Amino acid sequence: MSDDAHDVAAFLDALRAAEEAGADVLNAWVATCRLDELRGGLRAIAEREAVHAGLLAGRLRELGAPCTAVVNELLRAGAVSRFGSAALSDEEKLSLVLARYPDDGAVTKPIRRVIESLDGDPETRELLRLVAEGESATIAWFRAYQRALGRRVPLPE
Amino acid sequence: MDGGRSFGGHVREGRRAVSAEAAALIPLLDALRAAERAGAEALERWVASCRDPRLRGGLRVICARDRSHAALAEERLRALGGVPTATAGRELQAVCGVVADPDVSDRSKLALLIARLAGRVEGTLEHAVRTSEVDVETQAVLAAIGEDDLGSMRWLRAVHDALDGR
Repeated sequence: MSDDAHDVAAFLDALRAAEEAGADVLNAWVATCRLDELRGGLRAIAEREAVHAGLLAGRLRELGAPCTAVVNELLRAGAVSRFGSAALSDEEKLSLVLARYPDDGAVTKPIRRVIESLDGDPETRELLRLVAEGESATIAWFRAYQRALGRRVPLPE
Repeated sequence: MDGGRSFGGHVREGRRAVSAEAAALIPLLDALRAAERAGAEALERWVASCRDPRLRGGLRVICARDRSHAALAEERLRALGGVPTATAGRELQAVCGVVADPDVSDRSKLALLIARLAGRVEGTLEHAVRTSEVDVETQAVLAAIGEDDLGSMRWLRAVHDALDGR
């Protein structure tokens, strides 16, 4: 495997691990989410993350590269615990997610950089293109939902 | 079979009482589940015979999405008290047959899929997302499925145009 191919495989593996951890965190949030509409979106987005992880694992196998990357367990467990906690409101959790991505393009920037280097591997390139598009859709949905939530008038106590 | 409305706007679905709204939604989710599953199976066979790596890369994603959409639809269906029973209709089976056929050109399959997806995104799914009879949780799931389909359609169109040299 060339150095470039090795770098691409390492990127795919790291992304796979991140998507897998993302699905775990979102599923933990689903379990405690109090807003029906948000819960529906989270279910679909968690599924999307798991699909991405599975696709990346499949592609790595085809490329003869091992799936060895893992997200730091302290970080993963901490995020699962935070997002699965009933003590933190859904609004706070939304803000935490969106604070990581100041704009919709931020989430896909690293993926797009790799896509540009993949002319010799159009199969991985197109797979990543659709994964990136899914990630953009996820952040756009979170942002739209947060905006819509802000517009709702709270019920009188 | 009972199947009728009882007091409080509830109907019987198997052994569980479901609301009238859920009873109206269950067939839609069941049809969606069956269609997504049939689509995934056909795409899997296309991927297996497809020689264009660029096309194969994207088709794999769309196939996996279809499979996950089927799982999401089934999960919502069961949460609403339904049981999955639907199978793909004859027209869809015919479309899937063409998509899975290794003797049909990639370009023809792309055109067929684009037409099919456009109809669904702008038709049934769009209506289901907007109708007030659907609970908001299911609405959000359907909206996300519609968003995936829009992305798939954009990619299919781009590849179709690229194959045409546009």
